[in-house]
Amino acid sequence: MTSCAVNGGCPTDYSAIAIATISMILLLWRSSVPFLVHKISRTNGSGFWIPVIQVFGSLNLLLSIVMSVNFLKFKRRHWWQSCYIWAVWMEGPLGFGLLLSCRITQAFHLYNIFLKRHLAPIRSYIFLPLILLPWISGAAFVHVKKPLNYRCHMGAHWIMPTVFLHAVYISLLFGFTWTIRHIEFRFNEVKDLWKGILVSATCIGVWIVSYVLNEVHDDISWLQVASRFFLLLTASVLVLVFFSISSSQPLFSQISLRKREHLEFETMGQALGIPDSGLLLQRDPTPVIDPNEPLDKLLLDKRFRQSFMAFADSCLAGESMHFYNEVHELGKIPADDPVRRIYMARHIIEKYIIPGATMEVNISHRTRQDILTTNNLAHPDLFHNSINEVLQLMKMNLAKDYWSSMFFIKFKEEANVRSSGLEIEQMAGWNASPRLSSVHCADDPFHHENLFKGSGSVTHDSGK
Amino acid sequence: MLSIVIENMGLLCSKHRHYNEADNGENAQAAEIERRIEQETKAEKHIQKLLLLGAGDSGKSTIFKQIKLLFQSGFDEGELKSYIPVIHANVYQTIKVLYDGCEELAQNEPNSSKYVISSENKEIGEKFSEIGGRFDYPSLTKELAQEIDTLWKDAAIQETYAQGKGLQVPDCALYFMENLERLSAANYVPTKDDVLYARVRTTGVVEIQFSPVGKNKRSGEVYRLFDVGGQRNERRKWIHLFEGVTAVIFCAAISDYDQALFEDESKNRMTETKELFEWILKQPCFEKTSFMLFLNKFDIFEKKVLKVPLNVCNWFKDYQPVSTGNQEIEHAYEFVKKKFEELYFQSTAPDRVDRVFKIYSTTALDQKLVKKTFKLVDETLLRRNLSEAGLL
Repeated sequence: MTSCAVNGGCPTDYSAIAIATISMILLLWRSSVPFLVHKISRTNGSGFWIPVIQVFGSLNLLLSIVMSVNFLKFKRRHWWQSCYIWAVWMEGPLGFGLLLSCRITQAFHLYNIFLKRHLAPIRSYIFLPLILLPWISGAAFVHVKKPLNYRCHMGAHWIMPTVFLHAVYISLLFGFTWTIRHIEFRFNEVKDLWKGILVSATCIGVWIVSYVLNEVHDDISWLQVASRFFLLLTASVLVLVFFSISSSQPLFSQISLRKREHLEFETMGQALGIPDSGLLLQRDPTPVIDPNEPLDKLLLDKRFRQSFMAFADSCLAGESMHFYNEVHELGKIPADDPVRRIYMARHIIEKYIIPGATMEVNISHRTRQDILTTNNLAHPDLFHNSINEVLQLMKMNLAKDYWSSMFFIKFKEEANVRSSGLEIEQMAGWNASPRLSSVHCADDPFHHENLFKGSGSVTHDSGK
Repeated sequence: MLSIVIENMGLLCSKHRHYNEADNGENAQAAEIERRIEQETKAEKHIQKLLLLGAGDSGKSTIFKQIKLLFQSGFDEGELKSYIPVIHANVYQTIKVLYDGCEELAQNEPNSSKYVISSENKEIGEKFSEIGGRFDYPSLTKELAQEIDTLWKDAAIQETYAQGKGLQVPDCALYFMENLERLSAANYVPTKDDVLYARVRTTGVVEIQFSPVGKNKRSGEVYRLFDVGGQRNERRKWIHLFEGVTAVIFCAAISDYDQALFEDESKNRMTETKELFEWILKQPCFEKTSFMLFLNKFDIFEKKVLKVPLNVCNWFKDYQPVSTGNQEIEHAYEFVKKKFEELYFQSTAPDRVDRVFKIYSTTALDQKLVKKTFKLVDETLLRRNLSEAGLL
């Protein structure tokens, strides 16, 4: 007992390692399931990378505890078992610090977008290293001063600042969450943040106690064994729970396990409960469509809009129409509901405006910059200029060809059928206009949308 | 070669999967679609596929329009008239860009006095700045044209136009401004030139099929030409056209060396073109594709190069002007041509050296020149086909 307490390799140690391994496997499984099983599309940017970094941080944290607190018995000591690598660098900047910094980054984003109503002044990939800097400098300081003994323990006067740094980051997270507590989030972000704080604070309480006991009383062997068991156990629980609680809407769909949730809302508009963004009502009166009317008037008719959208998709120019449609949805949200407006605006910006977005629209540099540097995301005219540009583009490029396309013929037929009260035939257009007779690639970005418009089983918006 | 086959299989496979996902009721339709695709591919075997590629505003669509004019029925009156809104929009957009740009210069430039617009013209300017921001433009009446003309002739606006490389002023600005009176006539029908000058940013993909039967009916080739949008967001769509391409006509506007991109004003257009050309050359699909590089907008280039030195562009910064006048134009053009040649050989892997690469200087607006150039392209491709079939 005594020897295993000092050298590692007690039965409790192995069981703790087993638990940590299981929790790590669960974590990996949980983070990859949405991609592997439900085949949700990967979003670019921080929405995808922050969870990945979190998994990485969790792995480092668990590994560093295992390596630094003598869980395993090694015959010989190698240079890479150095306490400074594991107990300092891996546990601090690459483990716990990274984990909490990720969460703070998310909270900081929510704070900017919903409270300040503009896009965050610094991108996540700059903010994250910045907020990690105290950890890195702390680790470097410890590395230089070398206060650790051969069992990777440091004296009491070193523990205080270390615990303090850990606590500061939890309170930082708490602080950001506190500022946004009044906002009625649609995806339970604040509730999730609170839960995250509660769980992490409790875990960290237990963790700190065992940590301190382990560090201070390195002469009582049973305490050593028991405390390190609890240390690893709580850390395992922490990483797992911490990851499972999402705190930001894009993340929500990325780590959600239930496929149902993706299918429930096909568009952001539906998720936000914008009226009439779901199915068409059959009894809609169909106005007569006159090709001489300006396009923006015509597009107010929902059926026409859909037909035109299918046509635009078939010309590989669909992003403009999708953009128009979503901005139209945004317009239906009343001005006194800024939170929903911000959600929608942010969604539109991420999908259509930022350079390299999945469905980036063809707008001028200036218009794009105006949107990206706006100081009010809820402003009613946020997309006004870009919509004008996009409409102009569609008018010049697509409108003329549409009137001679199969899509318009189908549209007229359907309108006639509807007015005589018959069943609506599903639309599957074979295009006869001078556009793209030979190109029907399987991997075309708009492909599934234009061929299976009627089947309703394809969710092109699932990546949110 | 093998990789292409595998890729094709992948395409087919995924196609099948897509169709299987469809409801039962759509299966018959899917089969029908499949059958038609098969039929079409059979018929398409001897059709030569040409792609017009290049960065935004490099003249792809102008070439496309020329081909339509040259080898198809051309434009009838209805089609010509359909360009009226486009031309009028160009006029309104031009005057708005110039007025807004002038205002900005008057505020920010150190030497701002020359950008101050006279007060009566300012009123007109404000009006057109507002109109230019709308979606629906009013029809261009005599009165409006008169006002635009007055504003255009304002010294400050002229000054802005002269130095307007930082602004996105379309190339057609001068042409349309000089023809305002004709454009605003009640019975105005655009001429062929008006249509060619009209600037529309293309989005998506447009195609035509044609057969260049000229005076000597030697060439019986059938071509299918694809025109695409050139801005960054449009380029992701190109990849769907990359399979089985006979030749890429890459348009590079050589007059753009001092201008910024429409979609990213921090990026020089020529640098973008360079990177884009490099990327295209390295595409695995274009292993055997011929490359026709059109150094386009030569008409603007020959005027500009005497005023703006070529080395303002980072890519050409080692350029040394030697003389003046025609000699200088020639020298500058040869320099640019050499740069593109070097780029081609640097970006072409040794196993692809046998693909055809030709450079032409073009002015897409010049119908005779485009006709001549296209004839050369046609001959080159024909020779290439014969030699591949072992007949030459």
